[in-house]
Amino acid sequence: MQKITLPERPHWRDHAKEVGFTFADMHGAPYWDETSAYAFTLEQIETDLEDPATELHDMCRQAVAEIVTSERLMDRLAIPEAHRDLIAESWRRGDPEIYGRFDFAYDGKAPAKLLEYNADTPTSLYESAAFQWQWLEDQLQAGVLAEGCDQFNGIHEALVARFGAVFEAGSDLHFTAIADNPEDYGTVEAMGWAAREAGLGAHYCNLDQIALSEDGQFLDDQDRRIAVLFKLYPWEDLLRDPYADHIAGSGCLFLEPAWKALLSNKGLLPVLWQMFEGHPNLLPAFFEADIAEAMTGQGAAAPDIAPAFGRAEAQLAAAHVRKPILSREGASVSIHKSGQVIEEAKNTEYAEHPRIVQAYAPLPQFDGFRPVIGAWIVGQACVGIGIREDHSRITQDLSRFKPHYISV
Amino acid sequence: MTKRSNRVAIAIVGAAAFTLAGCREEQVDAAAFPDLQSCLDQASPSGMVTAQDCETSFAQAEALHVEAAPRYDSLAVCEEQHGEGACGSEAAATQGGSSGIFMPLLAGYLIGNAMSGRAGMAAAQPLYKTSDGRYTNAARTSVFSNNRGATKMSTSQFLRPATTMGQTPMTRATAASRGGFGASGAGRTGFGG
Repeated sequence: MQKITLPERPHWRDHAKEVGFTFADMHGAPYWDETSAYAFTLEQIETDLEDPATELHDMCRQAVAEIVTSERLMDRLAIPEAHRDLIAESWRRGDPEIYGRFDFAYDGKAPAKLLEYNADTPTSLYESAAFQWQWLEDQLQAGVLAEGCDQFNGIHEALVARFGAVFEAGSDLHFTAIADNPEDYGTVEAMGWAAREAGLGAHYCNLDQIALSEDGQFLDDQDRRIAVLFKLYPWEDLLRDPYADHIAGSGCLFLEPAWKALLSNKGLLPVLWQMFEGHPNLLPAFFEADIAEAMTGQGAAAPDIAPAFGRAEAQLAAAHVRKPILSREGASVSIHKSGQVIEEAKNTEYAEHPRIVQAYAPLPQFDGFRPVIGAWIVGQACVGIGIREDHSRITQDLSRFKPHYISV
Repeated sequence: MTKRSNRVAIAIVGAAAFTLAGCREEQVDAAAFPDLQSCLDQASPSGMVTAQDCETSFAQAEALHVEAAPRYDSLAVCEEQHGEGACGSEAAATQGGSSGIFMPLLAGYLIGNAMSGRAGMAAAQPLYKTSDGRYTNAARTSVFSNNRGATKMSTSQFLRPATTMGQTPMTRATAASRGGFGASGAGRTGFGG
């Protein structure tokens, strides 16, 4: 894994504008950045990222099976009591998953470490699946990259295949996102294209336009019944919205399905550690409530995890991260080293949520930037990666997206 | 065997995936005709369409019409969408159709050159009237000002429309309320991560 400086495509900004990639510059700073790219060997891609991500998704499915049978874990994950059956039911029914993104700390040498799973509403799909792909094709054509260079990016084709496998041809799907957010919309539209290409009908409707019919079904902005709804809106919010009580009886299949609420929740990390302690791609993780007193020497860890905590204690004391179970974009995350806070997110939006404590895996540094590898899961397999890098140790909304390639 | 897709959908130009506008795909010659006869009148052995093309495409558009025309649960709702007098019952359009389901009448068809035999593609598309006097395809993803004429079109116009036969149609229903999603995120501008 290397960071390689490369000439930019002369007209990429025009191209971005032309195809509607309006967030290539975000908040006045470059978001898409092709002045350099990350180069990997095929072995790094397949052995260190692809296979572990596929395996982790399988482990996550095992974790869901565990959590849906445990009120205690549902409590820990702050799942509203009224909707626990909805989640368990969606798992038992086998509601299909479409996509998700694992975020890894990886330096090209040691095993990739799972930071979190964006299993419900991952964005940056468009730039990963399409814009990055176009960059590679253009740079191959321009001779900037050597012939035979490749990219780990079968995302679009995998999505088409997944939609084709899950839905009967000609089914009508609805897609929704919050109005006027180009980034969220970009992900939804990339999805819509894949659904279309799979021979499905794709209809878009802004989130706040969804209605409830007199007979309890959800309707789009033209009052048409919604059978399948892909929503770029997280379950933790859906379950706290006025329509939450109507989801179960609506007959509408939500994508991602309700059971993803258990995976897009950082409470997943301690559950995984409990089930698969010592797995090379996992970091030791615990619910803060279980170990807070033990960490400060004022008491003991919760009995069921006390042995595991004992084994991880020294590693956590050296350096750990505290994350609210439901934060996104790094909000309210803090990094602690030997009792000192060394970095804290400025955005404290989720500060009131319960937290987890995870051993700290420092992101590698390349030219002063720290890349996080996003490994995309479609269906149940890893099909590509996208890289975001940040100046700070906590990847936030202002990160830059970097293309990657597989060297010859 | 590469590790990447052979193709991607590159454009995200504001609902393009949902309206099929602005799609940067290959262009094909396309022609629209209000009925079979007007196609035959223009056909020539060396032209864009031969008489055989007219027959085959018309049959295909008719089959797609039965399979995929928008369905409505009342004549009034159908006419609201397609204009007065532009709708009939499913029973009238197809054997075994329901007399309680309504669909627009076929108001023309669109032929795409060299589109037949492609997976997920139809060489011809039925056209329907819209309430404002224009024309739309079965999936209602595109609107055309006319049901007559030749043009270049992107191949995506010939994606097979979603079938509605025998499924719960995308029927209208009466909304009891609207806007019950999104409240929890009030004040946030985005929800992805």
